[in-house]
Amino acid sequence: MRLRAAAAAACLVGAGIAAYLTYVHYAGIAPVCTTGGCEKVQTSKYAELAGVPVALLGLVTYAVLFVLALVRGVQAATLGVFVAVVGVAFSGYLLWAQLGPIDAICQWCLGNDLTITVVAALYVVRMLTESPTQKRRPG
Amino acid sequence: MDRNRLLMLGGAIAAAIVVVVVLVAFIGGGGGSKSPTTATATNASGGGTEATDAFAGTPQSGDTLGKASAPLALYVFEDPQCPYCRQWNIDTLPTVVQNYVRGGRVKLVYRGIPIISQNSIAGIRAVYAAGMQDKLWQMAEALYERQGEERSGWITIDVIKEAAREVGANPEKLLTDADSDTVTAKLKEAEQLANQYGINSTPSFGYQKQLGTLQPLQISGLEPADFTPGLDAALR
Repeated sequence: MRLRAAAAAACLVGAGIAAYLTYVHYAGIAPVCTTGGCEKVQTSKYAELAGVPVALLGLVTYAVLFVLALVRGVQAATLGVFVAVVGVAFSGYLLWAQLGPIDAICQWCLGNDLTITVVAALYVVRMLTESPTQKRRPG
Repeated sequence: MDRNRLLMLGGAIAAAIVVVVVLVAFIGGGGGSKSPTTATATNASGGGTEATDAFAGTPQSGDTLGKASAPLALYVFEDPQCPYCRQWNIDTLPTVVQNYVRGGRVKLVYRGIPIISQNSIAGIRAVYAAGMQDKLWQMAEALYERQGEERSGWITIDVIKEAAREVGANPEKLLTDADSDTVTAKLKEAEQLANQYGINSTPSFGYQKQLGTLQPLQISGLEPADFTPGLDAALR
């Protein structure tokens, strides 16, 4: 229960970041930025996947992970691991793009990287420790 | 530990990694790109005519508009967010091109300098990247046509792609080139030149005769007629 609650809380943090970046994308405004590279990252080709902003994809990912955190069982945990690891791997690819081709760092992306990694770790631990069945004791 | 659980974990992680590798390959291969056909279609349907008419029939190479052999190079220092740069580009540039550039007397050289905010850098990079497809001047104009409030962050990836399509450039190539070392070097070169000549506002104009150094162009305003005395004097 604690693991699921922690995962749900982390998903809300990640969803907040993704929602902000999605809003910034569609509003066409500059994100608040202390690293100086957010706009460059946001206007690079890596900010979209097949025309969809990656921030929106991140928001959907966190929403799915949040719902899975509310569901008991190993299957939900396994699906959560799959989705979270997709998120971690894709965030790793975007981090590579920031350090390499884009040559600029976005603080919001780093915050997301940290959050999705925490979520993935929580789901892995949850999957390994969650009880296979939740049988009720007769009354 | 439950062996089945570990196998499931390994399977989930492996499947996730395969999905991301496919996604990255899709991006790298330009699988999501619809740019070449879209750009052609947009151009063919007349979508790009407004931004390209002023430059029709004028040779263009990289950041230079006009004949390479022109005796006078007019350097234009611009910031895509600057309203006066927009005025120069939309209202005056076509007349200067018609009167001086088409005849081979003057060539224009673009120098993008970010004066207003970091968002200008994205626009300047896009303009220089368009130069790698010999569409720099059209791209600059297309961005000015879309100019928003200063510091509002209006230079977004969507605006850049839309402008690129309008001028008949390949948007995906343009975005890739915008992040290239070539374009970074162009920005640095423009910054160094601006620092060297104390240019800290846009638009600023300087001229250079063959083998000469850059001289400030004396203008009294941004109307087409305001450029005539300075350019004529420089050409003498």
